[in-house]
Amino acid sequence: MLAVRDLTFAYTCGGEELFEGLTHVFTPGAVTAVTGPSGRGKSTLLYVLGLMLTPTRGQVLLGERDVSTAADATRSRLRAHQIGFVFQDSALDPTRTVLDSVVEPALYAGWSLGTARARGRELLGQLGVGARAEHRPGEVSGGQAQRVAVARALVTDPAVVLADEPTGNLDRDNATGVLAALSAAAGTDGGTARTVVVATHDPFVLEHADEVLAL
Amino acid sequence: MRPWLLVREALATAWATKVPTVLVLLLVATMCAATIATVGRTASAEQQLLDRLDSAGSRVLVVADARGDGLLTPAVVDQAIGLSTSERGVGTLIPVDVVNGVVGQDATRVPAWGVQGDLAAVATLTAGRWPGPGEAIVTQAAMDRLGMDHPVGWVARASTTVVDDWSVVGSFTPREPFADYATGVLYVAPEERALDSLHVVLTTADAAQVTQSQVLRLIDPPAPDALTITSPVSLAQLQDQVTGDLALFGRSLLLGVLGAGALLVAIVTLADVLVRRADLGRRRALGATRTAIITLVVLRTLVPALAGAALGTTAGILLTQRLGAVPPWEFTTGTATLALLAAACAAVPPALYAATRDPVRVLRTP
Repeated sequence: MLAVRDLTFAYTCGGEELFEGLTHVFTPGAVTAVTGPSGRGKSTLLYVLGLMLTPTRGQVLLGERDVSTAADATRSRLRAHQIGFVFQDSALDPTRTVLDSVVEPALYAGWSLGTARARGRELLGQLGVGARAEHRPGEVSGGQAQRVAVARALVTDPAVVLADEPTGNLDRDNATGVLAALSAAAGTDGGTARTVVVATHDPFVLEHADEVLAL
Repeated sequence: MRPWLLVREALATAWATKVPTVLVLLLVATMCAATIATVGRTASAEQQLLDRLDSAGSRVLVVADARGDGLLTPAVVDQAIGLSTSERGVGTLIPVDVVNGVVGQDATRVPAWGVQGDLAAVATLTAGRWPGPGEAIVTQAAMDRLGMDHPVGWVARASTTVVDDWSVVGSFTPREPFADYATGVLYVAPEERALDSLHVVLTTADAAQVTQSQVLRLIDPPAPDALTITSPVSLAQLQDQVTGDLALFGRSLLLGVLGAGALLVAIVTLADVLVRRADLGRRRALGATRTAIITLVVLRTLVPALAGAALGTTAGILLTQRLGAVPPWEFTTGTATLALLAAACAAVPPALYAATRDPVRVLRTP
């Protein structure tokens, strides 16, 4: 379970406060779209949920446990094992193959290379980019790169997947593909229930999300 | 993250970002080559100088009974030679002239030394056997002058008043630093006679002062005025001074080269960290710990540093070979190790900087 309680965040001490004591429980097995006007902290909320930013006040609860003030090493470990990230620009390593990018979180989680690569190939196949496993990110399309990013977010089988504007740079067809991948990751197609949170201002994503959290 | 996977990541990163890799490689290679060519050459020259200063000829303590008071008894000689700071030594009598006994008193004269102690300390037997009481050994030069074809026969003291002779039982060549004996004859000094001088080859020149004091203490009754001492004490002091100066110079040069090299490696690594901030931020976001990031950056620097150390050491050795002063292997391997350590230490501050940067700020900066 992923939840926030009385959450407030400010980038600087005494600066503008975001979320104003937000309390919300994100439903496992559902895609929750976080939306709102620009500057309201959609991406920031994702980074707080992803334990990369520490809230000014309030708590981030992951499986009933308050993890928002955990030590850096603990938060890194939680990111590697329980949280998957999909960045807006896919953020794949341009110098490595697609498969190498996909297995990266699994290596940080302590998996063996063989196990990680097998899991990575399986996910790439499920997302329709298995043939691109040994290609460089520069050799795949934007839509394919974003599906690779989804595969990377899922490689350690995390309980939470956070996606920051995952369709922001994609056309409708590719956005549909990425959204379908995220829905499948949430388990809405009958698979394992995950909490998927998508920060977006894309009406198409909002239309297809299971829940919407407006900031 | 598993250690070997960190190494694999470091290798992949080093291969992917070739400019900093080549720069670190060249810097470490230059550090090693420059150190070996300058400090190594100095160390080699220092070693050669030390070898020269520490040769047997520079380690001889000679104590002579100037007035012939019988102060250097065989017991004193034995005890002096037995000191822990003594490598070897003998007691000798004042040389006398001898002639070939077969030819007679008009024959060519050569000097003969009566020796107390182990003759092997001053001579290497080349033929025959070591002499006993009343016997002698000769050098090739002495045989030529005495008119002997082989080291057999007898020699007699060149005197019309004193009758003394020795059977020749072998030939020898003198050992360093007893080259004076190359022209003559050695015979075993009578056991009951006090010696005229004591020659002690010290283990090191540094031991001159203490050995000299010990030898003087052995003489009973103490009679420093009756003794003439030739000691390498001042030579030992000079040796200390010269080696101290050279070591200080070498150390300063070594620190200078390694320090400058490490600074440049740190700058290259920091630039690489700044250029790859998005890569490092992504790694942090995906679960890499700060320790993993620090290790990755340090290993990523060490990979080309290793290649550079191998290249630089080889180049340095080839260079010093051309200059004729190859430093010892301990120095070259030590230099390579120090250069690697310097590169690793230089990579730590940029690695700490990379590990402690806010990943969100890095990821959101275009």
